[in-house]
Amino acid sequence: MDTNSIPRLAPGCRLHPTEPLLLVPEGTLNLAGPARDILAHVNGKLTVAAIVDTLLAEYSGAPKDEMIRDVLNLLNRMEQRGVVRS
Amino acid sequence: MSTAVETPFKPFSLIAEVTHRCPLHCLYCSNPIELQRADEELSTEDWKRVFHQAAELGMLHVHLTGGEPLARKDLPELIAAARAAGLYVNMITSGVGLSEERLATLVDAGLEHLQLSFQDIDEASANHIAGARSHALKLALVPILKRYPLAFTVNLVVHRMNLDRLEEFIALAEELNPDRLEIAHVQYYGWALKNRSLLMPTQEQVDRSIPIVEAAKERLKGKIHLEAVFPDYYASFPKACVGGWGRQMMLIDPLGQAMPCHAAAVIPGLEFDNVRQHDLRWIWQSSPAFNRFRGDSWMPETCLACPRKEKDFGGCRCQAFLLTGDAEAIDPVCVYSPAHGLLTTLRTSAPEILPIWRG
Repeated sequence: MDTNSIPRLAPGCRLHPTEPLLLVPEGTLNLAGPARDILAHVNGKLTVAAIVDTLLAEYSGAPKDEMIRDVLNLLNRMEQRGVVRS
Repeated sequence: MSTAVETPFKPFSLIAEVTHRCPLHCLYCSNPIELQRADEELSTEDWKRVFHQAAELGMLHVHLTGGEPLARKDLPELIAAARAAGLYVNMITSGVGLSEERLATLVDAGLEHLQLSFQDIDEASANHIAGARSHALKLALVPILKRYPLAFTVNLVVHRMNLDRLEEFIALAEELNPDRLEIAHVQYYGWALKNRSLLMPTQEQVDRSIPIVEAAKERLKGKIHLEAVFPDYYASFPKACVGGWGRQMMLIDPLGQAMPCHAAAVIPGLEFDNVRQHDLRWIWQSSPAFNRFRGDSWMPETCLACPRKEKDFGGCRCQAFLLTGDAEAIDPVCVYSPAHGLLTTLRTSAPEILPIWRG
């Protein structure tokens, strides 16, 4: 995945409405730190670059390079686990 | 025993056995030998109340199973009620009787994940193991499923009769292109225990299967999420059965009896409270059946002194009873069990010829 990818949650995966949890088939992934906020923008429409821009507006003052790295890192791990697609 | 002490454990999942009726008669079925009657099943309203209480108690997932959940005409209503309560809805099905129209209704109602098991690679053998002509129906259902927005798991149930074909079996699953693939060895409870000598793989088969599964995991990474369950009859230490007794899950059978696991009814003297009389919170905290093997006060000396008790919570109580006649005995899977020799003997015994199919 790179900044031009358009990630989406895999079928049967959704955020818990209130808790920092991703509900997936046969399991629940705990979302630490900003992971829930990142996944909240993963909708099959926004590119990774657009997600980062939105997050930069939410987390004012965060360095962009670091943000891109963190977002790609999370999404790639989630893709390996089969719960995010691009 | 039944004091209303707050338990520190929070249940994650509810297994809802909505019926024991089933068009299949699998040799390895884990349902109890005494199947329950259709006219005594919980009503739609009972299940709706149960799902609501489950979510209130903090449960996240409901697994609709049976028997065959499709045998219930009110299935869309049950799914909708579980989703409305806030639960993640999974259904374990044979797919028999699932038309595209019916599938669309279930997905509309909120079904999120569907699990379909396969019995073997070729039709004759698969149908023989299932005790029904279901293999072709299952294969035909897959391309339809793929058009709907829900997660799809293929479950390969493996044992002595099909384990030699594991590589081809995995190849078949890959062609079906599910989101998840489970390779599950038969566990010896219910009908599977009756057929154990027919189903239990040889040591050599198990040894050969391990690198095949590992290679598939590596190859499918990022494409199909693979999970494998190995047979604990070949292990040296017990499994943390159901995540520990009364720690993570609750099963409700078709009559409304609340149990800590699928097989708990085999243990003599356990009485199960019913969701017709009690709410789930009371059952989780106070039902004597759920408290019977919680914590470590019931454990034999060997287990009490063993650091592994924090990982396996004393293994499987049903297995301990079924193999030794004592539900408080060390799980015979454990090398420290005086009965461990029972398993080492079984690993080398010759198979029986005659299968016994469930009703």
